[in-house]
Amino acid sequence: MTASTKTLPTLGPRNVQGTPMTRPARTPAVQSYIPELLKGLGITIGSALRNTKELAFGTRPDPVLESINDGINTISYPEQQRPYPERFRGVHRLTQREDGSPRCVACLCCSTACPAQCIHIEAGDYEGDQKRAGYEKYPKRFVIDELRCIFCGFCVEACPCDAIRMDTGIHPSPYDSRDQFIYEKNLLLSIPGRQGEHQSENPRVEPGEEGFAGVARLQQH
Amino acid sequence: MDPFLVMAGIGFVKAFAVVMFGLNVGVILTWVERRMRGMIQDSVGPNRAAIPLPGVVAAGAATGPAFLLAGAVLWLGFGSSLAEDGAEGQSFYGKLLLHAGVFVGWVTIASIVRAVGERGAKNPLETTLAQIGTPRTVVLFGLVVHALVVIFAAFLVTEENAKLSLQLGALLVAALSVASAAHVGAALAKEKTVRVTLLGLLHPAADGLKTAFKADFIPPKSDKLLYNLAPWIAYFPALVLLAVVPFGPALCFGQDASGNLDFSTFQGIEAPGRMCEAGRLSLQVADLNVGILYFFAMAGTGIVGAALAGWASDNKFSLLGGMRAASQMVSYEVTMGLTIVGLLMVYGTVRVDEMVLWQANHAWGVFVQPLAFFLFFAAAIAETKRVPFDIPEGESEIVAGFYTEYAGMKFAMFFFSEFIAVVSSSALISALFLGGWHLPFFTSEGIVVMLGQTELFRSEIPPGMLAVIGALAFVGKSISLCVLQVIIRWTLPRFRYDQLMRLGWRKLLPVSLVNIMITGIAILGADSMSGAAQESLAFAGQLSMFLVAALGLVALVAFAIFLLTPRSTKQLVMSTSAARFARTLGGIREAKMEA
Repeated sequence: MTASTKTLPTLGPRNVQGTPMTRPARTPAVQSYIPELLKGLGITIGSALRNTKELAFGTRPDPVLESINDGINTISYPEQQRPYPERFRGVHRLTQREDGSPRCVACLCCSTACPAQCIHIEAGDYEGDQKRAGYEKYPKRFVIDELRCIFCGFCVEACPCDAIRMDTGIHPSPYDSRDQFIYEKNLLLSIPGRQGEHQSENPRVEPGEEGFAGVARLQQH
Repeated sequence: MDPFLVMAGIGFVKAFAVVMFGLNVGVILTWVERRMRGMIQDSVGPNRAAIPLPGVVAAGAATGPAFLLAGAVLWLGFGSSLAEDGAEGQSFYGKLLLHAGVFVGWVTIASIVRAVGERGAKNPLETTLAQIGTPRTVVLFGLVVHALVVIFAAFLVTEENAKLSLQLGALLVAALSVASAAHVGAALAKEKTVRVTLLGLLHPAADGLKTAFKADFIPPKSDKLLYNLAPWIAYFPALVLLAVVPFGPALCFGQDASGNLDFSTFQGIEAPGRMCEAGRLSLQVADLNVGILYFFAMAGTGIVGAALAGWASDNKFSLLGGMRAASQMVSYEVTMGLTIVGLLMVYGTVRVDEMVLWQANHAWGVFVQPLAFFLFFAAAIAETKRVPFDIPEGESEIVAGFYTEYAGMKFAMFFFSEFIAVVSSSALISALFLGGWHLPFFTSEGIVVMLGQTELFRSEIPPGMLAVIGALAFVGKSISLCVLQVIIRWTLPRFRYDQLMRLGWRKLLPVSLVNIMITGIAILGADSMSGAAQESLAFAGQLSMFLVAALGLVALVAFAIFLLTPRSTKQLVMSTSAARFARTLGGIREAKMEA
């Protein structure tokens, strides 16, 4: 055996080279199955007792922070929820202006970008003596089919006005019927962001205000 | 009252109690098995089935029993005949109540501290209690107080102030249970709805309900009569096995003129130190002379159920399963019967209650017949057809074996009969080998520690209490054996069919025959021994009791140490953004409903 450490022995009729696998010796202890049986029972009993103790004492590992620790790391879902990462893409919301109207200008960028074609927008003009009349459009209808949505976030990327965001941290709730997954404009406007805000951090300069980058159309005519 | 009617009523009550024991422990075992699976595999296990109750109702349900307990304890301490001056057993019950009070106290504080750790303090009282430390320190504190009570009560509680200690203990228990119930109730009443889960115990109930409402499918070409009969034949014998097992020591009563039991004269329990003279009320359902043979007759009937189910289902898998069940159970029945022969030779009786009494007087069966204990245990697990002997079911090979074609309640009956067979075999093993209702140094007067002819320690316990302790000891032993069987079920893989047969016929059977031979030689030797040698044998029997007591103490200490060992934590690894985000929020417990 000492020589075979250098040159591998040849094994079997086809003279395969290699070291033979060490097999457990056929001692009475192994053959009788009893010591191994007791060892296995000890492991299961110990594991069961330890986990029961930690559950009873409320000291089981935190399922997120200590998920690699020994012990029960399962999350009891509806009561306990895994915190989603900061940039988690949840249900959409439509951001509002200061006066509560949608920031959306119905440019259809999002619905064009949408690979699932789940966004439907009907554009309309501001009319009469409204401040934004003649400058901007607004969405008469803004509908997202949350069942079709694949949560890719392209709509958010496409939006030039920061009007659609997916920072709500909510995943769509299960409903009973398909119509309930059709989110209309008012619902989308009412969903808050993670901090409960309805507006966007990015400033919005309205026409007529200082620093308005758009064209002052009325003055041109 | 007609004495015959009275005895029939008592018999009915005993049968009802035993059947309820079997059924309920069987149901609870299904829950134990599933949750144990969770605990072994590092998951929570089923605990989600819940009944939503309005908060006020839940508060009532939680506080009601506590008020009842407080009332009962106060009655015991102030109103009952026990509270009269110089009543018998006053000091014993006084110490018991003091311990109960301490127990209620530390359990309440520990659970409040635990709840505060989970969800934060809700009122100043909880804040104060949470400053004591972790639940672990509270448990340690409670155990220390228990030890102090044991030591001080031994010196301070005398016959004169026994009444005072009784009333003190009653007040303590009542006050603490009312206080804790009020705390829990106040918290519950604020909630709109409370989900009552009972640690997941509602899961088996929900499963039972579900199976009861499932479609009762009968395979069209099956043998209708036998198909419907088979679950009952499998179910019934498993349940009636418990009839010959004594659930506690026999009670001795006086007799009236016509030879009937006179229940007003309770003399004590039949235990070492007293044999019932005339009036004897055994705590087993059927006082049969055939005793253990009845057990084998009924256990043998169970085979028929499995075989019939396999035959009547008109399914090849079922047939295979039924054949496997029949051959397996017949094979292991042989070993079971032969291991019992050794016991019969030693005990000299087939009546299970007399066997227990023999063990109480000499030594437990596991010391007298150690080999038989292991053989019988293995054979009993094989008889229940559970892992590692679940070849008749064999999901990986023959779908579900003999109950492949069964659904709904009929399937549940097969399933349940397995669990009841576990309960009844555990009860029988604890009666045959582990001394049944007997605890070390347990006599008809109380705890009397004897070594040779000298008496080392004596603590008298009222006979009524002795009967209760005996019954509790028996139930405890049976349930621990059940749990051991559940753990074996989650530990061992299934045997192959040829391995099973080889184990049964070529290993266990010869060993059980050898066991009979050795037992015979030993009994011959013991009978022909001199008086001194026989005395040393009796001394060895006493030593075995010391061994059991010492093992029990060691187990208790080890368990306490285990409880107080803190959890080993590894360094946190913030591997994912979710984990980093959770850390900023303080972990998942605080950020419960986030996102």
